[in-house]
Amino acid sequence: MSTVDKSWRLCMLTCLLAIILPLSANADEKYDLLQQQVDALQQQLKQVQEALQQYQEDMSVKEGQVEQVVTQLKRDVAAAEEWKNPDTLIHMAGYADVGYSSVSGEDGSFGAGRFAPIFHYQYRDKVMLETELEFQLNDAGETNVEMEYMTIDYFLNDYVALVGGLFLSPVGQFRQNLHPSWINKFASAPLGFGHDGAAPTSEVGLQARGGFQLGGMYTNYSAYISNGPELNSTFEDGEYELEGISSGGKATDVDGKKVFGGRFGILPLPHLEIGISAATGKATVTVLEGGGTPHAALTEAEFSPVFGSLPKNVGDPEEGSDLHAEQARDYDVFGMDFVWGLGSFKLRGEYIKTKIGAATEGITASPGATWEAWYTQLSYLIPQTRIEPVIRYGDFNSPHASQDQTQWGLGINYLISSNVIAKLSYEFNDGESGTRADTDRFMFQLAYGF
Amino acid sequence: MKTIAKFRFRILFTISVLLFALSTQGLLFAANYPERGDPVAGARVWADNCSRCHNARDPADLRDDQWISTAFHMRMRAGLTGQQTRDVLTFMQDSNVPISVEPLVFAGGAAAKAAESADALSGSAVFAQTCIACHGSNGKGTVPGAPDFTRSDGPLSQSDETIFQHVKLGFKSPGSAMAMPPKGGNMSLTDNDIKAVIAFLRETFGQ
Repeated sequence: MSTVDKSWRLCMLTCLLAIILPLSANADEKYDLLQQQVDALQQQLKQVQEALQQYQEDMSVKEGQVEQVVTQLKRDVAAAEEWKNPDTLIHMAGYADVGYSSVSGEDGSFGAGRFAPIFHYQYRDKVMLETELEFQLNDAGETNVEMEYMTIDYFLNDYVALVGGLFLSPVGQFRQNLHPSWINKFASAPLGFGHDGAAPTSEVGLQARGGFQLGGMYTNYSAYISNGPELNSTFEDGEYELEGISSGGKATDVDGKKVFGGRFGILPLPHLEIGISAATGKATVTVLEGGGTPHAALTEAEFSPVFGSLPKNVGDPEEGSDLHAEQARDYDVFGMDFVWGLGSFKLRGEYIKTKIGAATEGITASPGATWEAWYTQLSYLIPQTRIEPVIRYGDFNSPHASQDQTQWGLGINYLISSNVIAKLSYEFNDGESGTRADTDRFMFQLAYGF
Repeated sequence: MKTIAKFRFRILFTISVLLFALSTQGLLFAANYPERGDPVAGARVWADNCSRCHNARDPADLRDDQWISTAFHMRMRAGLTGQQTRDVLTFMQDSNVPISVEPLVFAGGAAAKAAESADALSGSAVFAQTCIACHGSNGKGTVPGAPDFTRSDGPLSQSDETIFQHVKLGFKSPGSAMAMPPKGGNMSLTDNDIKAVIAFLRETFGQ
């Protein structure tokens, strides 16, 4: 090998080393850099894993909290709903009215009318206690309170409810359903259908009532047994005569003889109801007009002008046995009623006849007597308005000519809402000349059903 | 003798009433309280019965719990059956939601098109089921306050959008003392049902 070749090879080797050595140094730097990046990534991954673990731990705590909150919310909602649907409900309804009336030939006066709250205490759909009280301011400024009805109703099933206590008479429609002032479209009751008129007002006893379908027609019914009414008598022209019927429910049955009665109504068309009602039993005189019972009348000097001619053999006043001498009289009531609605027209009518038999024994022995009354009423709510004209005709016949009366009534009502009504009513009354039955009357009444 | 016969008759009458009452006990007694009734049937009970005696009360007058006692009170007064009581109670409770003042979007254009929707009842079916109790088969209204659809200036003189809102949200006609409840008290009605019945009203009663 020549010296030139050796030199050439050495030169080549040197050049090769010069190229390779720097490359090797550069690869080491990249490796270090990559190593650093891997380390950093591992660190970050660790941090992420730790964060994730922490998050999962936090979430698990929060889920528990959420469950707690949801449980609490459910409890709160359930508690908030409690008042809506308890087993026992307490509720108050009723009506009130105020007004002004003026009788022909006399000065008019404002009246506080009535406040008649109705209380309901209901146990589920089985039992309901209902009572209506009537507060009324009298002419002397004193407040009179009367219990219109107080019953415990037991809903036996879908068709029968048993009613016990003081209940509105099921005979006819007006007394049991139409007498509240926000319902009655006139400011006064029809002739003979108020208190102590021809129609019974209330009874103390037991009643079954309800409704059922008969073919495709709905019906309603009521049947009752009660203590029955008591009678008032008066002494005129040397003899006794029946004065009136005290038809409010009595808590005692002085003659021990019960009254049976009821009503049956059919609805052949959706807005037509026809009812028939009747009652039968016994009733006894317990009051002599002017005050007191026959017993009291005999012992009180203030009645001497009337009772001065009483027979002597009326029993021992000290023992209070006079009532036992009074003969229980036949008591029979018959009634019919209807209501027909055609759009805004409403036509209704009612007839009632109460017959009391004669008594041949007792202090107040006298012939029988009959009270009879009927009315018909038409109202019309003018479409797209709240104005409702009403016209009513009524006739009342009693054993006393001074009480006989016929009446035309005209009225116009304004419905502030469906349960708040302003009424202007005018009665054209025709009775025995010179009596109150013959005087016309103007009335304004604002009635509120609540 | 006559008195004895009369007394026996009265006793027999009383026993008959009690036996009748007891024999029917439990037949259809409400298993749960308050058992939900049928609001559509309830609307009919409401329209047919309430106004016989008094002006029909607006469902919005009372809360749900107040309607319970009121319905049972009216069962006693009007001689309703238990089922009628539950139906009318459900109707009143479904209908006393406050009327919203927010306008609704009447989507879908012509009502007739909407009526073709597969899930919508036919307009005549909706009317017969829900509306007819108060509005009557002739559209003139069967209860005081229900408007006359056949009048040229009646409800149908308004746009579909307006009628839709009135039906869906409830509406009190001017001068009326009471309002129609939302969806006529039938909460199961869909928007398409309402559109269908609007089309039916226009076709049947429109001028």
